Amino acid sequence: MLKMHNIRKSYRTDTIETHALRDFSLEVNEGEFVSVTGPSGSGKTTFLNIAGLLETPTGGEYLLDGQEVGNLSDRERSRMRNEKIGFIFQGFNLIPDLNLFDNIDVPLRYRGFNGKERRRRIERALEQVGLSARAKHLPAQLSGGQQQRVAIARALAGEPRFLLADEPTGNLDSLMARQVMELLEFINEWGTTIVMVTHDPDLARRAQRNIQIVDGQVSDLRQSIAQQEIATA
Amino acid sequence: MFELKPMLSALWRNKVSAMLIALQIALTLAIVSNAVTIIQERQEKIARPTGIDVENLIAVTFMPVPADYDMAGAVAADLDLMRSMPGVVDASVTNQAPISGSGSASGYFFEPNQEVGDITANYYQTDPHFINTLGLKLTAGRNFREDEMDILGPHQNYNADVAIITQQFADQAFPGESALGKYLYGGRDDHPTQIIGIVERHIGAWPGWSLAGNVVFYPVMAEGNHKRYLVRTEPGQRDEIFKQLEDKLAERDPQRVIHLETTENHMKETYSSDNLMIKVLTLVVSLLTFIVALGIVGLTIFWINQRAKQIGIRRALGASRRNISRYFLLENSIIAITGLVLGGTAAMLINGLIASNFSQPLLSLPMLITCALVLLLVSLLAALVPALRAANISPAMATRSV
Repeated sequence: MLKMHNIRKSYRTDTIETHALRDFSLEVNEGEFVSVTGPSGSGKTTFLNIAGLLETPTGGEYLLDGQEVGNLSDRERSRMRNEKIGFIFQGFNLIPDLNLFDNIDVPLRYRGFNGKERRRRIERALEQVGLSARAKHLPAQLSGGQQQRVAIARALAGEPRFLLADEPTGNLDSLMARQVMELLEFINEWGTTIVMVTHDPDLARRAQRNIQIVDGQVSDLRQSIAQQEIATA
Repeated sequence: MFELKPMLSALWRNKVSAMLIALQIALTLAIVSNAVTIIQERQEKIARPTGIDVENLIAVTFMPVPADYDMAGAVAADLDLMRSMPGVVDASVTNQAPISGSGSASGYFFEPNQEVGDITANYYQTDPHFINTLGLKLTAGRNFREDEMDILGPHQNYNADVAIITQQFADQAFPGESALGKYLYGGRDDHPTQIIGIVERHIGAWPGWSLAGNVVFYPVMAEGNHKRYLVRTEPGQRDEIFKQLEDKLAERDPQRVIHLETTENHMKETYSSDNLMIKVLTLVVSLLTFIVALGIVGLTIFWINQRAKQIGIRRALGASRRNISRYFLLENSIIAITGLVLGGTAAMLINGLIASNFSQPLLSLPMLITCALVLLLVSLLAALVPALRAANISPAMATRSV
């Protein structure tokens, strides 16, 4: 599903060059639920941005769903983001001026679906996250957990094959966090590949595989959770 | 693909700033469309054909010093002198200078002994050289003969036997029929003045007059305390002749005060208030349009900065750069069109007040639509650069915590 080989990403100012990712290689298979952990500034968000086609790498090779994405135009990258990738952000990233229905509608309009198809998808997505009755509410009228569920509904409505979650429970209390996590697991069971960036080792443990990023590199692909468990025992 | 409904609801939630810009556009349209209507009317007035050779005409006025001056003799000698000057096409004696803002008019009847139903026309007292001197085009009939020329003493009444009139006056006086051979009368007067010729057009002494273009020419010279000539020069010779004329006339007879003015200058002076009005209104229109464009640029930049994160989210969700710039242009168009609809209504109301109270021209619907379209274009151009800038906001903005 996702294959990164020797990905590099550096940011340059007049005087300093910062290497956010260095020779970063990773493979995520279709249907996997992978958690990504690492200390602040380790390169998690940069990885997420590159994986989600929000940024382009400075070097290396990135294949998404078998397609090399390095040379795609802005339009092609936008279309790929829209059709194949669903995003769930820490801050929910709902558009405050739009009600829930219109928020979920945003990516579907860019997809070019007709009104009937959009309505069908929006209603189903809202039903899946249990917010059908709140379709005409504004984001500000919902709790944090509800807003994150709307964001998940927005991601689900496009039926993406690949879901990228950036600290999806970071702004939620433990009860809400658990509900959101259960929802993600449920979505994964349907076959959607999920990559979730998190600080929370409990959540990371619930994924099928954990990746730790340290200093812009994958530190250990398979053993990090076990090591954490030994360390904390 | 167009997000009209969500865009309208988003605008409604930010209605204050949107309405302020819409009102600014409305006010601009109301003022601009009325100002442009006035500019256009003034320009049309200035550009009206005069029927005469404006560029090559010089008006000469002189006032003799001696009380017992031989005016008729002086005029004959001056005209001979001027007509013999190289570069002079012709010269005429006249009671008024064309397009000078100063002249004479009278009411004319078309049956004897009438008291009501006259039509007013500006009149010239001139000579058989006037057609050639002014550069008029005789379209029917004939010119005056030398033997038809009268000379009037002071306080002597004049009953003209013949006259030449403009086509415009002929059409008003005798609609649907030829005026040639017909007669003009003064009020409560039975002396007929036969129309022997018709000239294509002449605007007369007062271009701003509502009846400008109604002109009558008589073959007469009234002796008075001053006299006026019109001199037509060969093209390109006017300024040179202008320099020579005063000296030559003064040399021939130094006992008088002589003043020269080109008809082009008369025209400039006559239209000076119109030209000033055009300049002031053009400045107002340009400033208002510039200010409204600045307002739109400012508002669009403000909104883009305010919604940078939102733009990043849209980009992350699949919006291309084009989608983003189109969003802001469409949003701007909605505001502009709202303003233009309001402004169009206001423009008509303001025009109604101006037209009825200040005798200004009526605002036409095509003019209003043209001004509205120009303002819409200006507002789109003003929003274009910020909208293109918005399109460059990175989708990675969605994952930033600002």
